[in-house]
Amino acid sequence: MNGTAIRAAWRSAGWSRFRGNRLALFGLSLVAVVMALALAAPTLPLADPYATNLSLRMLPAGSEDHLLGTDQLGRDLLSRLVWGTRTSLAIGLFAVSIAALLGTVIGLVAGYFRGWLDSVLMRGIDVLLAFPYLLLALAIVAALGPGLRNAMIAIAVVNVPFFARTVRGTVVGLAEREFIDAARLTGAGDGYILLRELLPNVLPVVVIMASTNLAWMILETAGLSFLGLGAQPPMADLGSMLGTGREFLTTVPRVAMLPGAVILIVAVGINLVGDGLRDLLDPRLKAEGGSQPALQAVDRDATRSRRQPDVLLRVVGLATHFPQEDGIYRAVDDVTFDVGAGERIAIVGESGCGKTVTALSLLGLVPQPGRIVSGCVLFESTDLLQQADEARRRLRGGRIAYIPQDPLTALNPVLPIGAQIVEVLRVHQGIDCKAARRRALELLEQVRIDRPRDRVNAYPHELSGGMRQRVLIAMALANDPALIIADEATTALDVTVQAQILNLLYALCEERDAALIFISHDLALVGQLCDRALVMYAGRVVEEGGIKRLLSSPAHPYTRGLLACAPELGRPEKALTPIAGQPPALNDLPLGCHFAPRCNHVQDNCRTGMIELRSIGERHRVRCIRAGELETWLR
Amino acid sequence: MNGYILRRLLQLIPVLFGISLVVFLIMALLPGDPALAILGPYATPESLASLRNELGLEEPLWRRFFIWLGNVLQGDLGRSVALQRPVVEEIGERIGPTLLLAAAALALSVVLGLGAGVVAAAHRRRWQDQVLTFLVLLGISVPQFWLALLLILVFAVWLHWLPVSGMFSVYAGGGLIDLLQHLLLPAISLAVVATGVLARLSRGAMLEELSQDYVRMARAKGLTERQVLYKHAFLNMLGRMVPVIGLQAGFLLGGAVYIETVFQWPGMGRMLVDAISSRDLLLVQGGVLVLASAYVLVNLLADVLQHALDPRIRRR
Repeated sequence: MNGTAIRAAWRSAGWSRFRGNRLALFGLSLVAVVMALALAAPTLPLADPYATNLSLRMLPAGSEDHLLGTDQLGRDLLSRLVWGTRTSLAIGLFAVSIAALLGTVIGLVAGYFRGWLDSVLMRGIDVLLAFPYLLLALAIVAALGPGLRNAMIAIAVVNVPFFARTVRGTVVGLAEREFIDAARLTGAGDGYILLRELLPNVLPVVVIMASTNLAWMILETAGLSFLGLGAQPPMADLGSMLGTGREFLTTVPRVAMLPGAVILIVAVGINLVGDGLRDLLDPRLKAEGGSQPALQAVDRDATRSRRQPDVLLRVVGLATHFPQEDGIYRAVDDVTFDVGAGERIAIVGESGCGKTVTALSLLGLVPQPGRIVSGCVLFESTDLLQQADEARRRLRGGRIAYIPQDPLTALNPVLPIGAQIVEVLRVHQGIDCKAARRRALELLEQVRIDRPRDRVNAYPHELSGGMRQRVLIAMALANDPALIIADEATTALDVTVQAQILNLLYALCEERDAALIFISHDLALVGQLCDRALVMYAGRVVEEGGIKRLLSSPAHPYTRGLLACAPELGRPEKALTPIAGQPPALNDLPLGCHFAPRCNHVQDNCRTGMIELRSIGERHRVRCIRAGELETWLR
Repeated sequence: MNGYILRRLLQLIPVLFGISLVVFLIMALLPGDPALAILGPYATPESLASLRNELGLEEPLWRRFFIWLGNVLQGDLGRSVALQRPVVEEIGERIGPTLLLAAAALALSVVLGLGAGVVAAAHRRRWQDQVLTFLVLLGISVPQFWLALLLILVFAVWLHWLPVSGMFSVYAGGGLIDLLQHLLLPAISLAVVATGVLARLSRGAMLEELSQDYVRMARAKGLTERQVLYKHAFLNMLGRMVPVIGLQAGFLLGGAVYIETVFQWPGMGRMLVDAISSRDLLLVQGGVLVLASAYVLVNLLADVLQHALDPRIRRR
């Protein structure tokens, strides 16, 4: 993260989002109460924390005038706790301020001036970081002598490296940005740039670090006092109260336990606030990982009656939405299509048009927080969306195989490729390790990998991109699937390798009579491979038909646009016309035709009402009200 | 692999040199007369003068450093004034118990911390995650020395399940069972903070792994959720966490100071606290130097281990 991003986050999200974080708010109120008590200590009606009275030693809690009793010297425990909290908080805040100040100065100077100064400072910081945290503090206390001030200095010093490093990192990131150059061009001096341009940008980072480190620093100073190296008796300090109360642990545990409990409460409060601030300003840290994919049961409709024996997959009215803070993203909406047994179809469109989400919806792997909100997916006459998780898992990698876009990231980097093929065989067929290994070698041979015996123990990074994609194809074929879904399976490859992979995929599908859904952004490319294509735009199918028909006489202006911006082999003179504008935001789709804002042929009634996918020829459907009339004058 | 280890060992030299320099400077630059600080206010002028001579205090600082460093390299860390014996001997007796305690705590925190992280990540935002997140918060917020006292109070004083302190029982002690009984409470107290930190970091690392393409692919292959989590994601997470685990060793070696004091554990942490109280500076110097070097070595080990775990780095 960097300074400007953080400042922007302060402004945009700020308090309202922090307030939404109930835990952080709880921490904040905890800290506020403790702070208020500590600040108000002198004005509270408390006994003198230093007034000893040996005749009143170890009075039990609830005694008259002593709510929590007295300690070994007859001092009021409650009063000492409040005053002790005051000391501990003050020391912690002091230490964190010193550490933050020194660390920021070192980080700014090192990050801004770079060169030898940076090297010297950062090597020094590295050496300090090579020490176990507390030991360095101990060494410093040993040299300076025990005492609260020295303990505070020691804790501050050992925390300087953390601040210095982070600040330097932020500054290095900022120093290359335009606004720093701009300041330099206007003749601003180094001091001005450091204080006026850089400092305000690193300050939020420093504040977060301070808030996350404050609890540590309070704990560690209390620890030094506990060891007798910090605050000295009779000073009221939580750490030393705990240290001296230790002697009476077996007889009067209260004297030692209560100060520790207070430290715990303070630390919990501060940590909660610190976490809240960090979540707020560094959204990456709480980034959504994909956990168990979620599928919602959806309402059925009358599609079941229309089952046909030769239809392998029938998708009807599929809609997958992603609810987010700024609205519902309709990634896939009202998608309907069939795939016959052994048929190869393509889904084509720009990135973000919903092709991949469609594929993942079929597999039941929609990433969080996406949900399939309606529709049905009939595969071999059963509705996948109605099935239990376990049944769907058995289909995945079995009857329905998936080939992902980027073969490098899709393979587990720390497992040999052989093991990754073997596991898909074993989980579906339940065969033993040896048989699975033999079969894996056969599969590698079938996808034309040379010397499979040498390659089977290779790690993914040791293979070329084309070879990795062959491995993934081998995995997809492992259990003789009826349907293969290939998601941009050749996009990450060189053009020549692309052609080889396409040929291989074609041959293997033919050979095994497997159906294929080939997802691509390149309509011309899929022409060689597929029989039919769906063109998707902004989550909807805008045109569907035989591939030759789409290539020769596209009916939807968007399909035409896609063809116009694709280069063609052997036609270097062809002018490439990109489609002007951007696809609409999926959380704010326009009424009527989604393509209308970018369409050259738009007219008023394009922007009203729902435009249906209508049939304009045999197995040719289009979602455009002007499709028929345009075709004639565009030729 | 061997080349890598050799390279890392060579890189160790400047780090260890820097550590020695810092340790030396902290002790050398302390205000006042080191000889007086070492021998205390009742020392005779003759003994002060001879110690000054022995420490080479009349020499310039840089020469003193190299003389000292030369002695350190020959295994001479000086003589403890309070204990009247060579520092090396004292450390030799003390380092075993500290390493045992730290290793036990490290093992506990790795098993519990990574386990908690994986479970929390696998059940993200469900009750398991929330309970674990709460426990982690307590773990990183609790003062270890207080927790140690609490454990003694509950398990030793009230329940009489485990011994209060020490490493072996005074009577009829000395067996392995006896040692483990004495080790349990200190190791738990010491492990708590590191467990919290590891749980938090491994949850994050696990979530990041779970969002990777290879996890989606593993699910698309129809692997069971258990295989996806514990084979695919966990292996990758482990590789990432090994260096972080190495860093925890630093917290454990530092935390040992508290825990050894509370439990009267005969290790280096307690030795350091006593040495600081009695101003036994050479003992402090030697102790800090040895523990810091141990920490550096542990981190080297962690890097080598990560190297072995991750084929991408291994073959580079």
